Parts: sequence; structure tokens; C-alpha cells
Amino acid sequence: MTQVALITGGANGIGRAVAHRMAAGGITVIVGDYDHAGAEKVSGEVSSAGGRSEALSVDVTVGREVKALVTDVARRHGRIDILANIAGGSFYTKRLEEFTWAEWKEVIDVNLKGTFLMCREVAPIMQKQKSGRIVNTASNYALTGSPTRIPYSAAKAGIIGFGKSLAQELAPYGILVNTVAPGPTDTPRVMAKESAEARRLRWSDIPLGRTAKPDEIAEAFYFLTTPESAWITGQTFHVNGGLVTP
Amino acid sequence: MRLQGKVAVVTGGAQGIGRAIALGLGREGSKVVVADLQADRAKGVTDEIRRSGGESDAIEVNVANESAVKRLAQKTFDRFGRIDILVNDAGIYPRALVVEMTEEDWDRTINVNLGGNFLCCRAFVPAMRAQRSGRIISIASSIAHYGAQEGAHYAASKAAIVGFIKALAREVGADGITANVICPGIANTALPRTHRSEEELIQRLRSNPLGHVLEPEDFVGPILFLASDAGSYITGQAINVNCGSYMV
Repeated sequence: MTQVALITGGANGIGRAVAHRMAAGGITVIVGDYDHAGAEKVSGEVSSAGGRSEALSVDVTVGREVKALVTDVARRHGRIDILANIAGGSFYTKRLEEFTWAEWKEVIDVNLKGTFLMCREVAPIMQKQKSGRIVNTASNYALTGSPTRIPYSAAKAGIIGFGKSLAQELAPYGILVNTVAPGPTDTPRVMAKESAEARRLRWSDIPLGRTAKPDEIAEAFYFLTTPESAWITGQTFHVNGGLVTP
Repeated sequence: MRLQGKVAVVTGGAQGIGRAIALGLGREGSKVVVADLQADRAKGVTDEIRRSGGESDAIEVNVANESAVKRLAQKTFDRFGRIDILVNDAGIYPRALVVEMTEEDWDRTINVNLGGNFLCCRAFVPAMRAQRSGRIISIASSIAHYGAQEGAHYAASKAAIVGFIKALAREVGADGITANVICPGIANTALPRTHRSEEELIQRLRSNPLGHVLEPEDFVGPILFLASDAGSYITGQAINVNCGSYMV
């Protein structure tokens, strides 16, 4: 039976790489994103490469949109084996006192609430199946904090705590919940914000001496969906070149 | 096959988790040196790998003996010419309360479990550096995180392995070498049988959120992940394979 994966934030960067990696592993990938055109593009790429894919729009912060998305996927595909919550971002880099309440909520909601809403809708389907893999996305900033990404650091640390609790709740159903915490990754979004030189200087202390390719992060997501990781749950995979070694 | 043409050394490869790892690496196309104090059993694992069409040698070694580890490295290079993957699994788990623990108990546990990691890494890192690639994977234990009664020396040695590997990862990263730790939850091997009844053991093995009894084979997938290209950006990490019994 073909596995079905629902990937949020699948239109760009890490999400896009995860869609490609899972499709290469024979998994049908549903590319969900706020950016519908971007999701369509990735879905097209996956199909061109011989994979099975479709694109769907979703704002993960809106409960009814999440419910509609999950209901639609479950109805048409009959199952959801994998949920990869990748939609997220830091959006702003500035000091705490400069954050408006709306901006704070935006960052917390896209990262943390979106993860909650997606899990809440998908978990009952996986419970009925008595199987499933949920992989959430944290960040090196969840561990180290960042003076200019305070809500993002809080949201990402929150995702780790949330995932451990959900892992305990869903373990009796054979559902595994883990978190990938990527380090600095060469995604178009972050590459657009600074020069390659500035970026290299900022991350010169990474033990492996370089930032990550999105494909390298995607491998961890994929591993956490395979039988080889069957006995790993409630854990965080820090894929960061040795930058943070908690 | 993900590890075609690679050369791996597995210390403690004669039985339990080490044996499963040696066989798993062999299945993925790696040449495997099965290094163990128990030469006959190591030879048995080597024979299994050869029977499935793989290349393997058994080398007798006490990982806490400096000259023996040097000979292990030399024999590996003589036989296979390189080292791509070092799996440090050799370890012992004697039991004693701290107040009754002899200095000899302490030294032996620390020297084999932690010292073996040091001696083996020191012996193989230069060749990895010269190649500008290599994967070091040490087997610690979930006990590194939550401790164990009558196992303070073991817990100390395993927690120290985690610290050692994190530091080593920072030291060798620039040379394209990754170093990570797998922390297995309590598993169905010969090790814990030395101090528990069978009934007590199985009940304890099953008492984790997933209700699964961990077998040596269950740790092979994570090892292959770290040893293969898929693990290229992971270093200095402890990967916990424990059915959710401890969430780090």
C-alpha cells in the first residue's frame, strides 16, 4: 500500500526538499502551503521526477482550513501515514520591545499553533489506522535562543515540548512523534536576506565548517518515516553540523 | 546498498548490539572488521558476513589496552587500506552500589567503556583526517541520561562517552568527520541478564511507551542512517532509540 504524507510548508526550502525526498521513497506527497502557486510548482516538480504528488492550499493557523484540508486528504486517499509540519518561520529579526502583539502572535501561531492544529486533526486518523509518523520542525534557536528572534525561539522550543507530550499520548496507538531541529540551512528565504559572505562569517563556528543543504535536513525527516526508526519517539534530531550539541 | 566499498570497524562486534551492527553494515556493502575480546565469537560473526557474500575479518582486541588498539588499527589498514566507519560498541556493565564499589570495579568500567572510546578514536582519526572523511558512532546508553541503581560507574562512563563524542565532533568536523552517539534503551541482550530474573527482565524491557521489547537489530537502522550519506550534516549528537522511555 502506498503511504500518504501530508507536508505543510511544502512550497519552499526544507519543505520542498522533504516533498522530493519522500516522493523518491515512493510516498505520495500532499504539498500543503499558504502559497498555493508555490505548492503547485513543487507538486509539478515531484510529478516530473516520477513521484506522486498533489498541491493543496492551507493556512495552518486557521482551524477550519486545517480541518478542511485534513478531511479532504483523508477522504480522497483513505489514509494519512505521515504528517510533516514544516510551515513556519521567524519572519522578523528585532528586539523584544519592538514586537507588536499581532507580530508576536503571528510567529507563535504559524510555528506552534499550526503544529498543534495539524496534529489535532491528523491524530484521530492515525489512531484509527493504529499507525502513523508525525515529524515536527524546531530549530537550533529552540536550544540556544536568539536575541532578535524571541517569539521564534519560544515557538520552536514549544514545539519540542509539545512533541514529547504528544508522543506519550499517541504511543499506545503505535504512532511516533519526533522533531527535527535544523541548523542554518541554505533555503532561498534565508539566502535572500544576506550575502553569501556575511552568511559564511556568521556561521564560521559550525564544526562541519558549512551550512546545510535543504536535502540534508530532508534526510532526517525521511528517516523518521521509515521502518529503520520504528523505535524512536519523543526525540529531537539536531541536524546542525555540530553547532548545537545538547 | 548504501555503504558499498566502505570499511567499518565494530568493537564489541561479537555479540548483542555490536554483532547486529556488524551484520547490518555488511548487508549494506561495507567491509567489516569485527573487533572483540572474544576472538571465537568474533570469527563467527565474520563467517556470517562472508557467507552472505561480504568481506570481513575478526580481530581480537581489548579496547582498554593501548598496544592492542594500535594493532587493531594497523591490521585494519593492512587488510583493507582505510577506515570509513568506526563503531565503538565494546563495553561492560558490572553492578555495584557506590558505597561497595571497589576501585578496581570503577577503573575497569571507565577504562573499557570510556577509555576504549578514546583509544579507538585516537587510533583511527588520523586516517580519517587524511581521507578527509569518516563516521564515528559510539554506543552509549539511555542510562547516560537517567542513571541506574548499582550502575553509577556504568552511567558515568556512558555519560562521559556523550561528552567525549560531542567534544571530538568539534575537533574533527573541519576534516569532514562526523561523530555521534546512539543511546539505546534497555535491550534484550546478554548484558542485562547478568543481574535480573528472566521474568523481571521481560517486564522491564516492555515497560516503555511503545510497549516493545528492544532487540539488537532495532539499533541497526539508526546506525546505518548516521553512517550513510543521509547523516552528512549530523554531528555531536546523541540519538535516543528507546521506545520513548526517555525523551531528551
